[in-house]
Amino acid sequence: MTDVAQSSTLETSFKTRKTMSENVFGWLLIGPAMLFIALIVAWPLAETVRLSFMEARLGGEKYVGLENYQDLLDSRKFHQTIVRTFYWMFLSVSLKLILGLIGATLLNAAVPGRALFRVLVMPPWVIPIAIGMIGWLWLYNGYFGVLSGTMMSLGITDGPFEFLAHKQSAFYSAVVADVWVGTPMVTLFFLAAMQGVPRDLYEAAYVDGASRWYRFRRITIPQIMPVIVSMSLLSAIFTFNSFEIIWILTEGGPRGATTTLIVDTYKTAISNFKFGQGSARAVIIVILLGTFSLIYLFFLNKVNRYYGNGKK
Amino acid sequence: MATLDLLSINKSFGAAKVLHDISLAIEDKEFVVFVGPSGCGKSTLLRIIAGLEETTSGQIMIDGKDVSDAHPVDRGISMVFQSYALYPHLTVYENIAFPLRVQKMPQPEMDAAVNRAAEILQLTDKLQLKPGQLSGGQRQRVAIGRSIVRNPKVFLFDEPLSNLDAALRGDMRVELSQLHRSLEATMVYVTHDQVEAMTMADRIVVLNAGRVEQFGTPMELYHHPKTKFVASFIGQPNMNLLPAKVLGSDAKSLKVELDGGHQMVVPVEAGLVSKGDNVEVGIRPEHVSLGDSGLSVTVNVLERLGGVSITYGAVGNGTRFCASLPGDAAIREGTPVTLAVNPDDCHVFDANGDVLSRQAAPELAG
Repeated sequence: MTDVAQSSTLETSFKTRKTMSENVFGWLLIGPAMLFIALIVAWPLAETVRLSFMEARLGGEKYVGLENYQDLLDSRKFHQTIVRTFYWMFLSVSLKLILGLIGATLLNAAVPGRALFRVLVMPPWVIPIAIGMIGWLWLYNGYFGVLSGTMMSLGITDGPFEFLAHKQSAFYSAVVADVWVGTPMVTLFFLAAMQGVPRDLYEAAYVDGASRWYRFRRITIPQIMPVIVSMSLLSAIFTFNSFEIIWILTEGGPRGATTTLIVDTYKTAISNFKFGQGSARAVIIVILLGTFSLIYLFFLNKVNRYYGNGKK
Repeated sequence: MATLDLLSINKSFGAAKVLHDISLAIEDKEFVVFVGPSGCGKSTLLRIIAGLEETTSGQIMIDGKDVSDAHPVDRGISMVFQSYALYPHLTVYENIAFPLRVQKMPQPEMDAAVNRAAEILQLTDKLQLKPGQLSGGQRQRVAIGRSIVRNPKVFLFDEPLSNLDAALRGDMRVELSQLHRSLEATMVYVTHDQVEAMTMADRIVVLNAGRVEQFGTPMELYHHPKTKFVASFIGQPNMNLLPAKVLGSDAKSLKVELDGGHQMVVPVEAGLVSKGDNVEVGIRPEHVSLGDSGLSVTVNVLERLGGVSITYGAVGNGTRFCASLPGDAAIREGTPVTLAVNPDDCHVFDANGDVLSRQAAPELAG
């Protein structure tokens, strides 16, 4: 064997040994986290799937096969809930994205006291949702609420208006509260992305005569597009699963007007003790969100490629 | 194309004054380079011409028209940025076409303009690529292409070559000079690199701490620096500045004793300098030769570059001295050498750093 061949064999065996010990070490490092995730995520998920095939109540369980799913597919009420959930998600996410974009643009502008404004957008996100929603409950209250009072004094309504007591107004009031909670995060992410856009690009466009709007449209938006897309996915998942806001404001009422899938699931499984039917709903949520995320990630990939700089 | 006049430009950022009363008259089709160390205000001055910064006071005239308050587009300038400022999400074509899209130019005209620029800059086969797929030099060309399609009165360049490696920088210098000749455009170019300034400029503006030290042709700055700053900034390696004492003077010469004891008579006008004053004598490294009498220098470091040997040493009380000697000069590190100096090649600076007028300067080329 020549010297070169020998040394390369030596190197290979050394490499293999090193890789093996590195592998073991790696598994040791992530082991505890894996175990933890298995306990708090994988096991409950598996248990939910199992329960969805059962008629499970406090008294006991009975295997019913796909009956729970069949019931859901046949239920007009459930169809309405799905449509309502997607409408809730679409409306709320669109508003969060639009307001977030406007907010981030304003916060990114060189105005005096900019740092203060940046802090002032945080509270809706920072204060606990329960406390924030109690505030909104007061705002929406017909007798003591500032909104109803203002409408009365302006002559828009004759008497007190309970925002959360009517089907239509309750739904949109809940959307407003949800947007209030969700917009700061979107705003801050957009702001961070905008601050990452090199100033030279704007200056070059300015020198070339591009207006403020043109620069926003042709530089800011494309440059932050990957963040817009990923934020809309995150925000869509959060909004889809937004439970506390609706629960504290309306508990899904009046007459189901604010019952989204997640609220429906909670009501079925926890309030009415129908664990099997509740689990079937939960599984449907997982399937819907999973499909939705896959489509989105595919889309995100395309966007990144289109708006990227061409590097592989 | 156009003339560019700056009249008493002042600029302050808060309490910090960065430009002091700058007045320059730049001719039509001239290639003018602003050169100076970091923080001298050269980029600020360029940004003021571009309309990216406002002046605190003063006027900017392009083709005799006051454009001090005009938008960059109305000034008729275009600018190439140090970072190139290419839009990463747009193709080369769209990057070059950007200013034309802003103007809403019809597509056929735009195609023609972009293709013409691409041809000049050898980018024709790269038009559908994105900036991330190009090399540094190609990106630089795209940035220049975006300037060319605007057909501006004045081109502005802000350190456009500083992100390129040395070899490419040399090539791009040549290309830019050729571009200047073929476009017959007025160009203002900012750099901290005196080699770029010397090789490309018709005239150079040397800036120091927000003031114009000197405005002149490269050879004028080399042979007739007005101040010690210009003398030491222009020329490679830097001019040696040796402390000296004035022994005496007449109408056309000054007798000095250099640090280290060497005495010489330099043909300069004494002006306000008189016997006993301290001055500095400037000697360019390339203006000394090995000889029997002259400066005694101890060689510390020797860099043999082939054609020349750059010799670093010390004279007198340790004042650094650099000499550019023939490539195969018979010298060794650690040994003393005697360097002959022709007084005609020497510059003398008074205590304020101003030059004493030379009597024996060479005729200027060109």
